[in-house]
Amino acid sequence: MAAKGEKHSPLEQFEIIPFTKTEIAGYDISFTNSSLSMIITVAVITLFLTLTVNTRSLVPTRMQLISELMYNFVAQLLSDTVGDNGKKYFPFVFSLFMFVLIGNMVGMIPYQFTFTSHIIVTFALASVVFIGVTILGFVNHGIKFFTFFYIPGVPFYMHPLLIPIEVISYLSRPISLSVRLFANMLAGHTLLKVFAGFVVAMPFFTGALPLVFIVALTGLEILIAFLQAYVFAILTCLYINDAYHLH
Amino acid sequence: MPQLNPEFFVTQLFWLVVTFSFLLVFLWRISLPRIGNVLEKRERKINEDLTAAKELQSEAENIQDKIENQLKQARSDASELIKSSSASLQDKAQIEISKLEKELDNKINDSSEKIEKSKNESLNQIQAQINEITKLTLSKITSFEVTDDEIKNAVKNSERSLN
Repeated sequence: MAAKGEKHSPLEQFEIIPFTKTEIAGYDISFTNSSLSMIITVAVITLFLTLTVNTRSLVPTRMQLISELMYNFVAQLLSDTVGDNGKKYFPFVFSLFMFVLIGNMVGMIPYQFTFTSHIIVTFALASVVFIGVTILGFVNHGIKFFTFFYIPGVPFYMHPLLIPIEVISYLSRPISLSVRLFANMLAGHTLLKVFAGFVVAMPFFTGALPLVFIVALTGLEILIAFLQAYVFAILTCLYINDAYHLH
Repeated sequence: MPQLNPEFFVTQLFWLVVTFSFLLVFLWRISLPRIGNVLEKRERKINEDLTAAKELQSEAENIQDKIENQLKQARSDASELIKSSSASLQDKAQIEISKLEKELDNKINDSSEKIEKSKNESLNQIQAQINEITKLTLSKITSFEVTDDEIKNAVKNSERSLN
């Protein structure tokens, strides 16, 4: 009850605050807290991956080892799902994974904006994957790519039912991919803020309980931040694989 | 929900494209090749070290084999040498012993000859003395004049009958 009396809403953290008012050709490209968060993310990734590998030492330092582990992690992911064909897409999948992962992690810092909690951002990323994979499928298989929706070994009378299902599930890929990430980040951050509201609203001693929850949830959120980045990357890999190997 | 407010869709998309493109190009062109190079270099180095280690190991095994062969050779040589030297020593000893035996035999022979000689001499002297004594006795007891030859023969005869 008391939480409602507060001026702050748990969704306030997702508010976009423009720092500048910039327009180009009638389009609004204002620099916002979301843009800042993206720039921080990119800066963290590029600086980390550059500085830690700067010495290029044969025996890695601890920090270099982290970069190498990330490299190997994504490379392994790609080779496990796609195989040798996947090497071409390594930079893209790696960038995607790191962008989502560090974006989620930067969002875990208090007062930092989480751009992956915005459906437009995740949908744009998912669309790039979807469109790219579809183009890739047509480049590899031409018109035969449509056989992707035809499941072999199924009784013929099932096809009128299955083919629309396959088409719909294919078309909903960008939606499921983007909503999964967006909803996870939204729900997690909202939950944290709701519990934070409880801490403030509750009397002194009982307020400690939601605080404990916040600590635990923060750990969970960090896990989810990693997990969602991983899911995003592995689904991208699977979609690339589908574009090579139809059913 | 602020997420559904289309007011900021364009700016977010714009900045997303800018930042993600930069990230993609930067990682693709700079960061990933660097890390890849380091990993490749390390793998190559490890493989080289492994092959070098394998070579060294086989070399060491060869050397060990050689050492063992040499040791075996040395042992058999030594036992051969001991055998042959002991055999030659035995031969030498045999020769020495036989030489000594011969010498001793010679000495024995010489001595026995000497003894024989002196015995004969003594016997002859005794014979002569006997003859002398016999002659003297005969001349004292009887008046027979006997020649030396007769006495000699008589003594010989009596000796023969004694024998």
